[in-house]
Amino acid sequence: MVVIAALAVLAVDLLVMRHEPIRYRFLFGAAISCLGCFAAMFWLLNIDQQAHALNGMLVLDPLTRFIKAALLLLTVFTVLISIEANFTKHIGEYFALILLATVGMMFLVSSEEILMIFISLELTSLSLYILAAFNKQNINSAEAALKYFLFGGMAAAFTLFGLSLIYGLSGATNLHQISAALKGHGLDPSLLAGLVMTIIGFGFKIAAVPFHLWAPDAYQGAPTPSAAFIASGSKVASFFVFAKVMMLGFAGVEGSAFWRNLAPGWVPVLAILAAFSMALGNLAAIAQSNVKRLLAYSAIAHAGYALLGIITHSSQGISSLVYYMVTYALTALGAFGVVAVVERRAGDAKLSDFAGFGQREPWLAFCMMIFMLSLAGIPPLAGFFGKFYLFAVAVGTDRTNLGLLWLVIFAIAMSAVSLYYYLQVLKQIYVVPVPVSAPISEEAFPGPAITRAAIGLLALGVVVLGCAPDLLLGRLLAAIHGAGL
Amino acid sequence: MSSTVNNLWLIPAFPLLAAAVLAVTKQRHRRFSAFLAIAAMAIAFLISGAAFLSTLGDTGEEGIWREVKNFPWFQIGKSTVQLGWILDPLTASMLVMVTFVGLLIFIYSIGYMAHDSNSTRFFGFLSLFAAAMLGLVISNSLLLLFICWELVGLASYLLIGFWYHKPSAAAAAKKAFITTRIGDMGLLLGMLWLYSEAGTLLFYDNGNGCLEASALTKLVAQTTVFGMAVSTGISLLIFCGAMGKSGQVPLHVWLPDAMEGPTPVSALIHAATMVAAGVFLIARMYPLMALQPEASVSASQVVHAPALSISEKERASRALAIVQPVVHDSKPLLKSAPPVPEGESQVEGKAAASQHGATSTSTALQVITWIGTITAVFAACIAVAQTDIKRILAYSTVSQLGFMMIGLGVGGVAVGMFHLMTHAFFKALLFLGAGSVIHGCGGEQDIRRMGGLTQYMPTTFLTYAAGMMALSGVPVLAGFWSKDDILHAASVWSVSRWPFYLCLFAALLTAFYMTRQVCYVFLGRYRSSDALSANSSSHGHHLPHESPSVMTIPLMILAFCAVLLGLIGTPVWPWFEGYLSGHHPSLSLGNLFESGTIQIMLISTAVVFIGIGLAWRLYGSRAVAGSEDPDILERARPEVFSVLRNKFYVDELYEATVIRFNAWAGWVCDWFDRWVWTGAVRLLSYLVLGFSWLNRLFDEYVINLGFDQGCQQVKNGGQMMSSLQKGQVQLYLRVIGMALTALLLVLTWGIGQ
Repeated sequence: MVVIAALAVLAVDLLVMRHEPIRYRFLFGAAISCLGCFAAMFWLLNIDQQAHALNGMLVLDPLTRFIKAALLLLTVFTVLISIEANFTKHIGEYFALILLATVGMMFLVSSEEILMIFISLELTSLSLYILAAFNKQNINSAEAALKYFLFGGMAAAFTLFGLSLIYGLSGATNLHQISAALKGHGLDPSLLAGLVMTIIGFGFKIAAVPFHLWAPDAYQGAPTPSAAFIASGSKVASFFVFAKVMMLGFAGVEGSAFWRNLAPGWVPVLAILAAFSMALGNLAAIAQSNVKRLLAYSAIAHAGYALLGIITHSSQGISSLVYYMVTYALTALGAFGVVAVVERRAGDAKLSDFAGFGQREPWLAFCMMIFMLSLAGIPPLAGFFGKFYLFAVAVGTDRTNLGLLWLVIFAIAMSAVSLYYYLQVLKQIYVVPVPVSAPISEEAFPGPAITRAAIGLLALGVVVLGCAPDLLLGRLLAAIHGAGL
Repeated sequence: MSSTVNNLWLIPAFPLLAAAVLAVTKQRHRRFSAFLAIAAMAIAFLISGAAFLSTLGDTGEEGIWREVKNFPWFQIGKSTVQLGWILDPLTASMLVMVTFVGLLIFIYSIGYMAHDSNSTRFFGFLSLFAAAMLGLVISNSLLLLFICWELVGLASYLLIGFWYHKPSAAAAAKKAFITTRIGDMGLLLGMLWLYSEAGTLLFYDNGNGCLEASALTKLVAQTTVFGMAVSTGISLLIFCGAMGKSGQVPLHVWLPDAMEGPTPVSALIHAATMVAAGVFLIARMYPLMALQPEASVSASQVVHAPALSISEKERASRALAIVQPVVHDSKPLLKSAPPVPEGESQVEGKAAASQHGATSTSTALQVITWIGTITAVFAACIAVAQTDIKRILAYSTVSQLGFMMIGLGVGGVAVGMFHLMTHAFFKALLFLGAGSVIHGCGGEQDIRRMGGLTQYMPTTFLTYAAGMMALSGVPVLAGFWSKDDILHAASVWSVSRWPFYLCLFAALLTAFYMTRQVCYVFLGRYRSSDALSANSSSHGHHLPHESPSVMTIPLMILAFCAVLLGLIGTPVWPWFEGYLSGHHPSLSLGNLFESGTIQIMLISTAVVFIGIGLAWRLYGSRAVAGSEDPDILERARPEVFSVLRNKFYVDELYEATVIRFNAWAGWVCDWFDRWVWTGAVRLLSYLVLGFSWLNRLFDEYVINLGFDQGCQQVKNGGQMMSSLQKGQVQLYLRVIGMALTALLLVLTWGIGQ
């Protein structure tokens, strides 16, 4: 793909500029990265063909193009909120890694072949491990990266094992062929083991309970832009490929998670993961005092909600899942952007560091309010519609018996709980006065204008997508229709 | 459809626009406001004139020239509420009268209100009033008429209470509004009833209107309580509204009190227009009013009915020429009688007419006649003993309105409307003259403190005398012809001859009290000097003075009309009746000698001169000595006189009955409210309080504690879950393995069995 070349050139280019001041190098690097991303996006949106290359290793259809465009957009925003970060001198490497991870994700979403999926998964993961460790001065960053890496490595091992079991059973690596081969096959223990093991790998990527343990540590320890990227772009790509593997590759063995009508398969497994994720994510978030950790748990909870989209295994489910994840990623990115600003000022991202933020930075505080309320699912914002659509689709899968209602009710109850900790953040921002002893360093950081603009754009996007969901959804549905899912 | 009727709405629109502009104009723009109001009125007058001319055109076979324009207003369910306006001779003549008299009154107001600091507001209200009145006149829908009717009421409320800082004016305004509202209640009920029966409130709608044959057939065919036809019930209810507006007994009490308003207002509202609205309403609804069920007079009987007097047939036919559709079982609709002038050649027409004649004395019309008769005599009696120059005129107005009602009841639309027209002119003249007198005397209204004004205000005197003679019915002047018309109709009324006699008596009284008033005001010597000297500091002038020409010129124009207007409706050449009923009268002296016309004329002339002579003997031949002297009649019969002076104690009667009852009812309600309902509410509130106390306890100790506990549990759960995260990677990795095992176990054994 042309994308790779463009991005590789970028990385090389950056190495030349070693001697410029950090600030300019950041700006320059970001500019080139954005340019590359936009070029790729432009190219993507202009090709209009469907192709299956190399036995399904690369698939080009409207849906994957849509997802790729979204990924590139998220990358651009990640780059924008990284500008003027002060955690590293290796700017070229930093942006190159982000772009490499993006490339990995793009391969990930456009592949329908399990080996290719695994390889791109690894490409993405490895880039992200390094990104998490990028703050070399901070020991937490290193610790977080190590945990992330170890956990990821373990999960990857399980996945590979699972995939090899599947290969052994079906004799194919293409998802469609696997599904065809598994059609007549009963649910024997080896298939089950393969299934569960495969799920583990993806569960790790999407941070679903109980494969979430890395997330809070990694989010907290990693540099904030890296965490934002892990929480946004990586999530979107992983969810999409997870859904694809499950729905295409294991089409015959989904089982059922309907109330009183459970049947073994991957659907009940995911239902269990979803329920646990929602419960643990939301409850544990209440106890957090660090906003990044809080966002990590909230991400776990949102992974739980989003799993509902896969559980329904329908095209409606896919569209609701993608809509939900894209809006979630935008919101999370914005929230992390605000956190980054606060962190740079206060040195940490504890809840108490947000006290009085509403007075100091009314604009950013307002954006934060929009992000938090959207995450909580308050009506005019994108988060509300995403949740609504997701839940509506989930309820609608079994119209006669409302089989998934139990999960939806559970999800709604849990999102009520979630409001509590989001409001905690807002309370800190707006209600709690500035502590007198707080370090007065306001004039030192006037705040990066580009970052602010990016955050503002994200907030605007959240509001607009909430008010007019059809802007995104219409295209999404058309893309899904075009992809024939 | 001609453009005239399409643009008819412009007539009320201009004054309305002027009112709207004046409502936001600052009070100091005096000249501008007067100019605007008068210009709007003048334009309205011109358009009215054009409309009037267009109705003079050839009427063709249909009889009455009539054009309507209807349009839907809004829709409720399946039924569309339509409004519309109409142009027919009735409307056209009213339009011309209202705009012309209104215009003169507007001009007069410039002089009269010259010293008032709120004249902008005044002209704004006047314009609003004129707009509402004109809207009322042109409306072709009872609903639109009712809307304008209420607007007229509102404007009159504002105008009567114009000097709202005077408590009496404020009270009078309230009284006028509330009293007329009582009548309006009836009108509203009648309207609703009519709507539910006929399904439309449009008067004329190409055969579908409520005053057209099909609806009338339906209305008269049904009976309701007391065996009345539905049409009768509706008519009586609508007449209630007319009673209120036109000051008929017993709802007349507001009209004399309304004299608290500025005099031009009195002239406009109480002479020319508003009080005429009731009469106009009856005239407009005449086809409905005249309906009588078949049961009493069957068609065959009527055709061979014993001969009524010829003149009655003629009257009836004239009346019912306006009422085109009259209902019979076998003949669905008898078109209007052919032109019914004189001569024996049209026996058939008269037979048909007599048929209508029988129906014309419907129950509703009888009620109207009797109420009108009572009002005429009653108010004339009171007027004899009043001393306030405007109150005398007010009671005179009430009395004359009674005459109009009689005219409608016994003679039909033309008779009543003719008196309405002439009365509008001479009563406006009298009010404006009285205003001129009051203006000249520095605000004095008591006729006992006037006198000898002839020398001070000659123009006013002359015009006033013309008005007085016209009202009294001195021959050849306007009032003579119109009153004679009524008397003639009453004399041949088939039901009873009492209205005729009472009318004669009222006419006598009219002549008497008008002469008395003129004697008091203009003859003798000026009696107010002592009073004036005492008040000279507050009044700028010691002696009365003539009013400015802006006031006297309208007086002169009105006087001219008052003298000559009657000529359009003399028996010799009954043009006005012909115009209203849609045929062409010819000039014929023969009418004069036919059917007792000349006798009636002679009788009424005699009566008038007796009245004038009597009053002259009592008041004119010797000058009234002092302002404090009792009236001559008072000396003769003090008890009778005091009853009259106190207006038959009607106000006191109402005070003692209706208002007392009202106050008592209010007191009872208050008591109930204070003790019974409040008690109940208190009890309820204590119950609620007790309940809420329990609720609070429950809330605090059960729900809140429970919730707190729950929240605490949730929080603890969170703590516990986050404490799972000890930060040890070994544990993390172990969890993966455990999860794998657990999930596999669940899949193999947990589910599926």
